[in-house]
Amino acid sequence: MNFSKRKLLGLMTGVAAVVSMAGTNLAFAQSGEPIKFGLAMPMTGSQALFGTDQVKAAQWAVADINAKGGVNGRPLEMILIDTQADPQLGINAAKRLTSVDKVPIFLTSWSAVVKAVAPIANREKVLELSVGANSPEIATLGDYVYTTFPLADVDVSALANYTYASLGKKTAAVLYINNDSGVEGAGIYKSVFEKAGGKVVAYEAYDAKATEFTGAILKVKAANPDIIHIQGLITDLPQVIAQMRQLGITQRVSTYSAGYNPKVIEQLGAAAEGLIVTSLAPGVNDNPNVAPFVNRWLTTEKRVPNGLPYTQYLYDSPYIVADLYKWLAKNKLPATGENLRRALITIKDFDLPMTGMLQVGADHRVKKPVYLLTVEKGAFVPLATIK
Amino acid sequence: MNFSIFLQILWTGIAVSSYVVLFSVAFSLILKVVKIWNFAQAGLMCIAFYAMYVGFNYWALPKPLSFLLGYLLTLGASWLLHHFGIEKLRQRNSTSLTFFIFTLVLSEMMTYVFALAFGTEPLSLTKSIMSPVHMVGGIVISEWDIQALAMTSVVLVLLHVFMNRTKLGQFMSAAADNPSLARLYGINVPRLHVYAFAVAALLMTLGMYLFGQKVSMIPNTPLQMMLFAVIATLLGGMGNVFGAAWAAVALSLLQALSIFVIPSQWQSLILYVFLFVTILFFPQGFSVQKLMAWIGGKKA
Repeated sequence: MNFSKRKLLGLMTGVAAVVSMAGTNLAFAQSGEPIKFGLAMPMTGSQALFGTDQVKAAQWAVADINAKGGVNGRPLEMILIDTQADPQLGINAAKRLTSVDKVPIFLTSWSAVVKAVAPIANREKVLELSVGANSPEIATLGDYVYTTFPLADVDVSALANYTYASLGKKTAAVLYINNDSGVEGAGIYKSVFEKAGGKVVAYEAYDAKATEFTGAILKVKAANPDIIHIQGLITDLPQVIAQMRQLGITQRVSTYSAGYNPKVIEQLGAAAEGLIVTSLAPGVNDNPNVAPFVNRWLTTEKRVPNGLPYTQYLYDSPYIVADLYKWLAKNKLPATGENLRRALITIKDFDLPMTGMLQVGADHRVKKPVYLLTVEKGAFVPLATIK
Repeated sequence: MNFSIFLQILWTGIAVSSYVVLFSVAFSLILKVVKIWNFAQAGLMCIAFYAMYVGFNYWALPKPLSFLLGYLLTLGASWLLHHFGIEKLRQRNSTSLTFFIFTLVLSEMMTYVFALAFGTEPLSLTKSIMSPVHMVGGIVISEWDIQALAMTSVVLVLLHVFMNRTKLGQFMSAAADNPSLARLYGINVPRLHVYAFAVAALLMTLGMYLFGQKVSMIPNTPLQMMLFAVIATLLGGMGNVFGAAWAAVALSLLQALSIFVIPSQWQSLILYVFLFVTILFFPQGFSVQKLMAWIGGKKA
């Protein structure tokens, strides 16, 4: 009896050991030392409309990557900090991520924040990936700052060239918001449009806090351009266009990716017809992963995301982080900012689920096709793709 | 720039001044009667806006009912502010600085709460911000312009009648001029403060009603608009409610017409220039008589 008990006990112990080892291996795939990276985005403040959706997209990507076993069995862990799109809060976030959380890589967005935290990334040798910010200055912010999103000179340049060459508009007026994004984007449009052979007949800025634009709009009206380009934000763009239309300006209007938002059509109604916007991410007809992504939003959030293209880029960003860590593991290198930067430069080409192929250049820029859309019968429809 | 452009900017400047007049008069009235710089007005403006927004867009209430909802909630919040905040501070003989900090912090807190509740998505009261327009003598006049000017004018006339021709209005002015003497005559000064808040709540709600049909706002928009109300109150003369109204119109026009002389992105700078000039040279308010007296003094 004792012998049987001993045998049974031994057998049970052996089975338990095997099961626990198998379980441990399984568990290891899910609970190996996590790979931490930072995400500094506006979760509150005036830009939270976009920031929260972009964060959600990144969170989905992390969950999807971890559901498939993580990175070589290690789960990704994203440390999220609010910046309110404010440079000072961005600096606080970067200091926290580098000094307290000691992440070797972090993602951030909004041009003013990207620029403000660049010195910290360079000093601490932590890789900063800018996702969604478009100031051309980002390409010159230092060795440890890279963009994974095409800068303003890509889509605004393509739009300016298309406007002159394909739409045949010889004169343009530019209205822009008086901040980093507006000033730089407007300057690029003007420069490219004039280089193509066109003439910018009015070039007017408006204050970021303005709600009344009559003066600037009437100056544009007096110049009688063929087309009007607005480099603004979603907070002011509908007001500017509404006041333009009410003051009798009937010319076609173009803007950059900030205008690619269903809210613009909702607020403007018929006044939005003909509006041209840019998108730096493929649509449902260009990438088979986009339709399920949009459906995921409709199912879980009961709406489409604010700034769909930006959420696509943010969804892809954890995949870039994952690829960088896979390279480190393959080359048996420790996870430091320096090595991650080396990984980025060496890998160079990334095949990403939502935005397709991405090539990171030695000049810290990326090149992507530009998708132009226009408002027709109350909806955004494709207009052209510029490669 | 030609004369028709000048007239258009003039018209639009006057039309847009409608809601800033209402906010300025509300701020000035509380300063006159309750004797506090009510920076909590920004939070109350948020309450008015979001209450109307919920009424229009969530409960599909007709506009008058949504307006009433906005007003009642703003009135209720004003009463709570007065009863549990201002009166308590007054009973403790708190300093002006304490009142200032209290009202400012309260506004910031309310802004934060609304950001949590409604997010920071720019919202307008109505889904569309477009308004039908008419051409009158080469000037574009929108139906919003007409509505805004008509409503503001009617309300200001009624306020003038109330302040000058009704017993309650006269008691308010008396309590504003000399609260101690007013008490001696049996006037219930704290109750008058509540009535002042009730009138201010109406002005704020109407202002947000007009503003919200033209512009999208986020929770901290009213805080940014307070600067205008403060400058108009200072410029119009502290204690001069209708002076604040005229000052608001003048500031709005100056800001709009400045496009003729300065680049459009500097138009907001005008407000700050006026704020400094007013504080330094006209701390009791601006009047033509004072200006002439100052010039006369200089020449002598």
